[in-house]
Amino acid sequence: MPDTDPAIRVERLHRTFGGGRRRRETVALDHIDLTIPAGEVHGLLGPNGAGKTTLCKILSTVLLPTGGTATVDGHDVVRETAAVRRSVGIVFGGERGLYTRLTARANLEFWAALYGLRGRGLSQRVDALLERFGLTDRAHERVEGFSRGMKQRLHLARGLVGDPRVVLLDEPTTGMDPVAAHDFRDLVRELRAEGRTVLLTTHDMAEAEAVCDRVSLVDGGRILATERPATLGTWISRYASVEARDVPPSTVDELRALPGVRAVHHVPPDRIRVETGAEDAAPAVLRLLVDAGVGDVSTALPSLADVYLHVIGDRGMRVNK
Amino acid sequence: MSALAGFRFQLRELPHRPDHLLALVTAPLMTLVFLAITRHAGRADLAGHAVLAPALIALWQMALLVAGELVAAERENGSLEALVATPSSFAAVIIGRVAAVTLVSLLGFVEAWLAAWAVFGVVVTVAHPVVFAATVLVSALAMAGTAGLMSAVFVLTRSARTFQNSLSYPFYVLGGVIVPVSLLPDWLAAPSRAVFLSWSSDLLRDAVDASTVEGVLPRLGAIAGLGFLGLCAGLLALRRAVDRLRRTGTLGHA
Repeated sequence: MPDTDPAIRVERLHRTFGGGRRRRETVALDHIDLTIPAGEVHGLLGPNGAGKTTLCKILSTVLLPTGGTATVDGHDVVRETAAVRRSVGIVFGGERGLYTRLTARANLEFWAALYGLRGRGLSQRVDALLERFGLTDRAHERVEGFSRGMKQRLHLARGLVGDPRVVLLDEPTTGMDPVAAHDFRDLVRELRAEGRTVLLTTHDMAEAEAVCDRVSLVDGGRILATERPATLGTWISRYASVEARDVPPSTVDELRALPGVRAVHHVPPDRIRVETGAEDAAPAVLRLLVDAGVGDVSTALPSLADVYLHVIGDRGMRVNK
Repeated sequence: MSALAGFRFQLRELPHRPDHLLALVTAPLMTLVFLAITRHAGRADLAGHAVLAPALIALWQMALLVAGELVAAERENGSLEALVATPSSFAAVIIGRVAAVTLVSLLGFVEAWLAAWAVFGVVVTVAHPVVFAATVLVSALAMAGTAGLMSAVFVLTRSARTFQNSLSYPFYVLGGVIVPVSLLPDWLAAPSRAVFLSWSSDLLRDAVDASTVEGVLPRLGAIAGLGFLGLCAGLLALRRAVDRLRRTGTLGHA
């Protein structure tokens, strides 16, 4: 990781909503600290309502914090909004936010103009982005006829139209098909290779693991842990579960005795689910089941909630560098 | 440059939004109604009034219903946050877009004149074309400033639609659009003079009429001054509106 000034620095950042006479106050961000070096791809992983989008909005200056400070590229998001806006490109997830009655090119030309591009420079940037996102052939079609995935690609192109040094991607793969999601991972790697800093919010552990240099787990407005993706991979394999049908009782007993097996549950009418809690436990369970002649076996990766419950719960609030 | 970007964008988008051009559909129809009334009453001398009124109504309607809704429409479209997040001045972009809507709404003048000629064979001559052109230009600028203010107010108003609807006819009256302000009760004269449209409609009617137009510059100054006040208030209100939405976290609420 390059040893330079941080691209994003967040200190004691706090944001609440509501809190008037009629509404209960909701804490969206609870005094969080986060430092992201320039050139890093950083994942924010957490369930809905964790505070991921709130952080992206504050960093992109469209939301004011209630307290604390945040800087992007060295500029304060409250006091130096113009400088921050020149440095940041943001992509919000979902289909909304495009001018659907205009063509893809017209959309990008408008946004490019808002980033100060004119004339030939504007045309070249728009052409390059249309090409990069595979939209050249559809550039002159109205966006309302685009598929969800194409709209999302156009969103990504829009986010890069200002040639930002810091790219905020808020659930950008929402609605993408698997092929497009795969292409998206390549894009994030390209952004990293170009020296841009990327903050990516996602629900998807596998996606975070595939593209991020570090990942922060967020929940309830707090950053619970910041880890390298290799650690995520460990969590995923450690907390995998195995399901099987028609397992003999003796084999169930053997499974229970295996190191790393946390529990074996009966799933009526004829299945069992084996929950593991150690890195090598799932392969050992699979071997034992196959050796016992059990043919109907499947594995499942842990949900984010499982990881929170089992990993974060164990680790407390420690943040790893 | 932000205003220019907004201006160009709006000119590009408007042809794809027939719903935004409704005022231009109704303008020639209203011209026919007003002309039929004046002709039936034997007042051919009021033909100028009959063609000016629909044009001014189109100008006001598009400012109110299209330009005034720009910010709220961006919010509904989910693009307001991304717009605010660009380095461009948001207020300047909106004013540029409002100016484009106002420019297009001036087609109402052409339509009204053509409808009068095509259906009734009435050619309304403009006796003082320079005064007329200057008044149209300054009125359009004033309208753009006023519409900017409306767009900021509407995005902060929960019942913007009701508010919009209620602003149509009172302003046709106060603006002397159909009936000259001088024909209204005295107590309405003072508030009507705070509405730039009342100065515009009087001056336009005088420019069409053959008699000498008096006090052109002060009257143009009144339109420009009131329009400038509207523009300043609009820019300030837009800035305040965005700041408020950023503070409350409702910029992205549809």
